[in-house]
Amino acid sequence: MDVTRSLKDAVIATVLAGVLFVPIMGMVLHATSLDFRLTRVAVMLVLVFFGRIGFSLFVQTGASRHVLGALQPLRDSWEEAKSALQGRTALILAGLLVGLVVFPFLPVSSNYVMQVFTLTLIYVMLGIGLNIVVGLAGLLDLGYVAFYAVGAYSYALLAQYFGLSFWMALPMAGALAAAAGCLLGFPVLRMHGDYLAIVTLGFGEIIRILLTNMVWLTGGPNGMSAPRPTLFGLHFTMRLEPGQLSFHDFFGIPFDSSHRYVFIYLILLVFVVASVWIFKRLREMPIGRAWEALREDEVACKALGINHTTTKLSAFTLGATFGGVGGAFYAASEGFINPASFTFIESAIILSIVVLGGMGSIAGVVIAAVTLTLLPELFREFENLRMLFFGMAMVFIMIWRPSGLLRVQRKRFEEIGHGG
Amino acid sequence: MYILGQQLVNGLILGSIYGLIAIGYTMVYGIIGMINFAHGEIYMIGAYLCAIFLALCGVFGVDSLPVALMITLFFTVLITAVYGFSVERLAYRPLRGHGRLAPLISAIGMSLVLQNYVQLSQGARDQALPSLYSGTLRFGTAEEFVQITHLQLLIVVVTIVSMLALSWLIGRTALGRACRATQQDRIMANLLGINTDRIISTVFVIGASMAAVAGILITLNFGSFNFFIGFIAGIKAFTAAVLGGIGSLPGAMLGGVILGLSESLFAGFVNTDYKDVFAFGLLVLVLVFRPTGLLGRPEVEKI
Amino acid sequence: MKLKRVHYLLIAAVVAIVLIVVFMQGGEETGATIKIGIAGPITGPYAKFGEQLVLGTEVAVEKINAAGGLDGRLIEIVKGDDACEAKQARSVANRMVSDGVHAVIGHFCSSSTIPASEVYAEANLLMITPASTNPKVTDRALPTIFRACFRDDQQGNYAGDYIANVLKPKAVAIIHDKDTYGQGLADATKARLKEKYGITEVLYEGVTRGDKDFNSLVTKMKGLGVDMIYFGGLHTEAALIVRQSREQGLNATFMSGDGLVTEEFAQLAGSAAEGVLITFAADPSKLPGAKAVVDEFRARGTEPEGWTLYSYMALQVVVDAIRANGGSSDGAKLGAYLKSHTIDTIMGPQEWDEKGDPKMAPLAVYRWEKQGDSYTYIQIQ
Repeated sequence: MDVTRSLKDAVIATVLAGVLFVPIMGMVLHATSLDFRLTRVAVMLVLVFFGRIGFSLFVQTGASRHVLGALQPLRDSWEEAKSALQGRTALILAGLLVGLVVFPFLPVSSNYVMQVFTLTLIYVMLGIGLNIVVGLAGLLDLGYVAFYAVGAYSYALLAQYFGLSFWMALPMAGALAAAAGCLLGFPVLRMHGDYLAIVTLGFGEIIRILLTNMVWLTGGPNGMSAPRPTLFGLHFTMRLEPGQLSFHDFFGIPFDSSHRYVFIYLILLVFVVASVWIFKRLREMPIGRAWEALREDEVACKALGINHTTTKLSAFTLGATFGGVGGAFYAASEGFINPASFTFIESAIILSIVVLGGMGSIAGVVIAAVTLTLLPELFREFENLRMLFFGMAMVFIMIWRPSGLLRVQRKRFEEIGHGG
Repeated sequence: MYILGQQLVNGLILGSIYGLIAIGYTMVYGIIGMINFAHGEIYMIGAYLCAIFLALCGVFGVDSLPVALMITLFFTVLITAVYGFSVERLAYRPLRGHGRLAPLISAIGMSLVLQNYVQLSQGARDQALPSLYSGTLRFGTAEEFVQITHLQLLIVVVTIVSMLALSWLIGRTALGRACRATQQDRIMANLLGINTDRIISTVFVIGASMAAVAGILITLNFGSFNFFIGFIAGIKAFTAAVLGGIGSLPGAMLGGVILGLSESLFAGFVNTDYKDVFAFGLLVLVLVFRPTGLLGRPEVEKI
Repeated sequence: MKLKRVHYLLIAAVVAIVLIVVFMQGGEETGATIKIGIAGPITGPYAKFGEQLVLGTEVAVEKINAAGGLDGRLIEIVKGDDACEAKQARSVANRMVSDGVHAVIGHFCSSSTIPASEVYAEANLLMITPASTNPKVTDRALPTIFRACFRDDQQGNYAGDYIANVLKPKAVAIIHDKDTYGQGLADATKARLKEKYGITEVLYEGVTRGDKDFNSLVTKMKGLGVDMIYFGGLHTEAALIVRQSREQGLNATFMSGDGLVTEEFAQLAGSAAEGVLITFAADPSKLPGAKAVVDEFRARGTEPEGWTLYSYMALQVVVDAIRANGGSSDGAKLGAYLKSHTIDTIMGPQEWDEKGDPKMAPLAVYRWEKQGDSYTYIQIQ
């Protein structure tokens, strides 16, 4: 145990923290004068000092091993549970699905919870879409939000100007987003890495600025309202246009806004499950293998006769389709969209879902989407500390699991033959 | 005629502002090949520190403006550099050797942390800096003239000087050689006795110092800042750096000026609403024909 | 294949955690206090307005609680952060509904208020926005949605009249900040000038919020010979535009709306603030009824800027309505009460029309002038 070193480290850390905190935290600008708030800096410095000492002592003494030892039974039971459940994938999946389907009908559910869950599912879908582009094809896309916006606005515009219903507009929103993906794909075929990243980022910004500026079409910053989806023509709104039939009237029950939340959640769940399945199939199909091969070595791919143009374009197009469908669902569940919902930070969050989850991993995307949408909601209790904690969580998770929460285990050839 | 002249000057100044931030960006990128998304936030902290130290000079009764500015410059650069160092130490070093995406996400997280840290500490309001000095050069008649303030001229000069100084540092000194070795092959550089961790830290400190200089000059010029300026400036600077060829110092300057000129001329003669669309459109067009930017090294495809 | 199963286990674990969290949140039901929701941008680029909202309501709550609360029950504030994003606004709104608040004060940005108000209307919850001036907030005539400030079209009409009748400029430029509030105000003024007076502006353009450099716009206006700039937006961009105009020697009259009613504007604009015109209702902090409250804020070391006093008033109104209805949280009942009664507030007696807009004192034009060392706005009409 090296107490002197620990002390030295702690003093260095405290001095550094002092340099960082004293001016920004300790002196608050008030017009051209300063408010001195040195006590809170002192508190922070004391915390840093003892935190650093505590940390190095914890690591140096056997304390860390004791703690790990104490956790051993937990790990054992985890292993046990793991082995007990092995070979029952289908069962677990089915259980999970039933749980997700039944959940809205449990008393713990509320509109708030349903809305958060719907948002989470939308992010799962976006994560899957971006995973095709970034995770499989290895094309760094910082403007994925563009396709999300195209999907959402396509739905709202089609509904407003052509009176299309949700079910008519949904495939068209997907198709339009796919077209946008293809359009973006062409100019970027020759670009790599960060050049690709900035062009996609620029594309996302261009779409958002266009949506803001084209007031005559999109309502500009005022946004647009989007109609809610219907169940075989039955509406879920309180006030109806003449000639419309509502869900609550049809079944003779009082109006309850939760019907709509649950309905959107359930159809979205179906779409997400389908997306998961599509993604898994895609990865095993030749096109999926071509994407992964292209990611690993573009030159070798070209030499082996893989058409890198169609491969890249298909990745962009398919990825964008998921974004478009996700966008249409977003518009339908929110009922209102404006350009401010489609800023760069949204792209960053979706990318974080893919990277935090583990690139190319489907379960990872699900877990990361759940984490990143629920964390800000859970942090609501902390009010203005919320986004600070969120940022910290992003850094910590990344350092804790640099290759994502789940690492993708690539399937060997034989396994595919035996039915994945 | 004077309108065109003034718009060109406007574009040149805006371009130098972008270039000044982009130089720090591209410097870090050139050595470790990561997009340091928190660079804009470091610049924002530089702006706050500048205002804080100017106010502190007022508190301690430093009346002479040059002295106050020197004190502010010294402490702002010093403390901002410590911020750059700490960010690298906390958020990027643990991720070295884990590809390019992990540090990118960590950088996005770090930039959220810094933004919210400053907001919580300093409040969310826009801060103002009174104009300390307002000398102006005017060319032309009393009614029709082209003008540039001394401060704006200083920004242009400092951008050029920093670009040249850093190019010299990278190209001609022992530290620069070590940086280039680190960039080309980190493991080999290590084997040859270069402490690559220290080199990378140094690069971050230099990058942060550049951000501090940018923060001071731009804050003095516009006189207003808040905790969110780093994000907007960061995206524009990133665009400028990529346009010029990321990793290239003259490229950052050139990219900044092209971006600034295109925004100013488009806003001035066509439409302000669409100036960003035009700027990004131009970027896409340039990259279609030169996929590695204007002055970027063409990628060699290894077989 | 082994790892795959672990993935599903992990998913299951996450779902379980979520359920537990949800359960825990469902458990906190109390009847002892009266909860009032405060929703607005507590984080993000517009957090400064969230600060005003929180400050105004907190001071009001402290005062009411110190005086014994609402019929013996203390008032508790439930804050919701929407960061001025529509998505988060709806999330916050649903959260407010499930938290069982009696009424909501908020949101700030019109683009958040509009989607959130639909949630409140469906849940039959009273909502009063102290700051969203966009007409659409109340034009949908939702029975539980109210506004405690004036509307953009009222202000635009007033500004248009003033420009045409008093200023009589040769060439007007209308600039906005491409945001719901700013563009709404600019459009209202533009429409008034054109329809009533046949004045067409020489330039109508939008700037981007957060930009710092408006020099090319200023040069352009100079080239067009603009002698009057009308700006729809907030003080941050306005200060920079007016400052850069003066720097370039463009001395056009600068006029804007309530977004500039904060001391911050003069700090940001410096000496360029001199002579800038704004339209606003009778300045709340200079009303006789508000005097004592303003002093209270000053005693805490803060200036009740912008929307602070409106937030204070909104809370007073909500508490008054709840008290008059015996602690009810029935939005329809509270709404009907507000539409049929006059409420005494720090900003004088207030009444509401059928849409939920206040029948407020007429607007006025103010002018920024130097007084001593600092600038302040003075009513000139």
